[in-house]
Amino acid sequence: MRAIVAVAMKDLLLLTRDRANFFFTFIFPVLFAIFFGLIFGGGGGTNALDIALVDEDGGPAAVAFAGDLSADAGLTVHEAPTRAEGEALVRRGEVVAAVVVPDGFEEGAGAIFSGGSIALEAVMDPTRKAEAGLLEGKLNELGFRQMTRTFGDSAKMNATLEKARGQIAGADDLPAAQRLLFTALFNSLEGLNRTGALGGPTAAALPAPDGPAPAAGTPAAGLGAWRPVMVTVRELRIDRKGPSNSFEISFPQGVAWGLLGCVGAFGASLAAERQRGTLIRLRSAPIPRGYILVGKALGCFIACVFVQGLLLAVATVGFGVIVRQPGTMAAAVLLSSFGFTGVMMAIAAISRTEAGASGMGRAIVLVLAMIGGGTVPLFMLPPFMETVSNASPFKWAILAVEGALWRTSTPREMLTPALALIAFGVAGFLVGVVWMRRSEA
Amino acid sequence: MLRLTHLRKSFGGVVAVDDLSLEVGRGEVFGLLGPNGAGKSTSIAMAVGLLDPDSGTVELDGVGRPTNAAVRRHLGVAPQSLALYDDLTGEENLRFFGRLHGLRGTALRERVGKTLEMVGLSPRRAHRVKEYSGGMKRRLNLAVAMIHDPPMLLLDEPTAGVDPQSRNNILDLVRTLAAEGRTILYTTHYMEEASRLCTRVGIIDRGRLLALGTVAELVARHGGLSVVTIDRDAPDGRAEERIQTAEPVREIARVMGQGNVHAVRIDRPDLESVFLQLTGRSLRD
Repeated sequence: MRAIVAVAMKDLLLLTRDRANFFFTFIFPVLFAIFFGLIFGGGGGTNALDIALVDEDGGPAAVAFAGDLSADAGLTVHEAPTRAEGEALVRRGEVVAAVVVPDGFEEGAGAIFSGGSIALEAVMDPTRKAEAGLLEGKLNELGFRQMTRTFGDSAKMNATLEKARGQIAGADDLPAAQRLLFTALFNSLEGLNRTGALGGPTAAALPAPDGPAPAAGTPAAGLGAWRPVMVTVRELRIDRKGPSNSFEISFPQGVAWGLLGCVGAFGASLAAERQRGTLIRLRSAPIPRGYILVGKALGCFIACVFVQGLLLAVATVGFGVIVRQPGTMAAAVLLSSFGFTGVMMAIAAISRTEAGASGMGRAIVLVLAMIGGGTVPLFMLPPFMETVSNASPFKWAILAVEGALWRTSTPREMLTPALALIAFGVAGFLVGVVWMRRSEA
Repeated sequence: MLRLTHLRKSFGGVVAVDDLSLEVGRGEVFGLLGPNGAGKSTSIAMAVGLLDPDSGTVELDGVGRPTNAAVRRHLGVAPQSLALYDDLTGEENLRFFGRLHGLRGTALRERVGKTLEMVGLSPRRAHRVKEYSGGMKRRLNLAVAMIHDPPMLLLDEPTAGVDPQSRNNILDLVRTLAAEGRTILYTTHYMEEASRLCTRVGIIDRGRLLALGTVAELVARHGGLSVVTIDRDAPDGRAEERIQTAEPVREIARVMGQGNVHAVRIDRPDLESVFLQLTGRSLRD
């Protein structure tokens, strides 16, 4: 038994010193998973839009608006000192759009009832139409919030109404009926602003122009509590049947590549021992001959478990992957390791040379990885390929791992992948043992 | 200690070992001498239990057949190919093989240290084997064979491809091991090594044992006559005369009496002449 462990530890030590095999067994699968996870959707939620902000006004309203932009989770704001620099960022593709708060924004925000408006300008790449729609909606939202801010400040509201009255009074060409309507509107707004009739629990009366001052500590009234549109957000727990993000697809694929790396590294090791001559020493040692193969199998098994653990650790810690069924995941890791150890033993026993083992790895194992979901995700395979993929141990390993992630497979659903992996493991072991005995004879 | 009886082994249509029988006595250094492809390595492989003979037996006195794992504990083998892990250090190689032979803890540590000391590799113990010279690798190869302190060693061309200094070092080491009472089966195609080291020599060719005995016995039996070469004056200058004789000294005395002798040389039969006599002078592919 100790001899088996000694062989396994020796092989694992050699693997850590073989840079190429170490990279393809432990590093490449992680990089593969991250790369393809990012390619197919990154974090799974909405990616924030990168925008440049050019503030040509600098007034309090502009500053408040810039603050709203920066605080919005859907936007990443990059400050640009000038319009030209903002446009340059758009041209270089570093931002989706340059949002310009023009000079006069403050005045416009204060004259919304007298011809002014909360004016903004967005300079965009014309090819990015989807983002354009998103940004326009976002700017309208934030613009409306700016308007609400004006409404909520009674002093400001008074000033706005006063200004508006003055402009109406001075508009000689304004038809009388419209003048009457505007005056009535302003009177109503003034009344609402003074009394806070539509206000919330903190509303208190503002004094009439020649009335007494409100009591000390009385919070300002006005339209700040008026909410013509109210949206309540409630989060709903969803029992997903699909992956919640692209990494829940790419990391199981990374597992396939990690297992492939282990098979390649350990499958060639027996051929290397044969070529190097160390197999003579191993076979002349006072241990049963089978211990050599079992020792290599143990080393491969440990490496398979480790690479899967590494991928899962990176996935859960760094990329929001959730292991919904830890017990199932543990079983999936062990079964996958067992199955692929069997595959390795078959290749190791059959290959006479390192080159042969590498060739067999490319010819057989790589193809099995590709048809088994290692490159194209299983759920994207066409129906006829789904049937073909049943012959690949990679399919069953990926299904087992996905079963513990987003498929949330029941024990019954896990049975087929489990049995398939066990079958591959046992068959590979038997092939390996029989072939080695024949070659020794 | 080791008895090979009527061993036969074929690979396809090629007979590698043909009815080989020999015994290696306890404490003896037995040389198995033969050209390339004579069957030396195949014989060693069967002696260690790596190959099953087609017929015949291999027996280790008082212990059993080397196909039994427990019997192999009494054997140490240094294969012709350098059976070492290049990416492990010298020490790591010894520790690994020592573990396979059942050594643990302090005992393993001590054996590793002692073995490295014996082969002169202690200063390089922490270096990876791929950084070793050819001679150093050969010495480590021998060290691995000795790690578990076996009573019998099978050394298959242990000095192949090394420089003269390393070869001397290895030969001295083999002598030391023999002096400690170990039994050694030593294969080589270098006559000088066999002459210097071996108690007895067996000459093997095309799988068959052609001759067996001490070096002196082999020379007496198969070496042929001595050759006396005389360089003397002749009517048209100098001439060289070669005379085969069983009594070279007497022949020289006779020739000296004739005068006009400038130089005399005696070539006595040696292991090389025995070897060439028995295996022929043609090149082997």
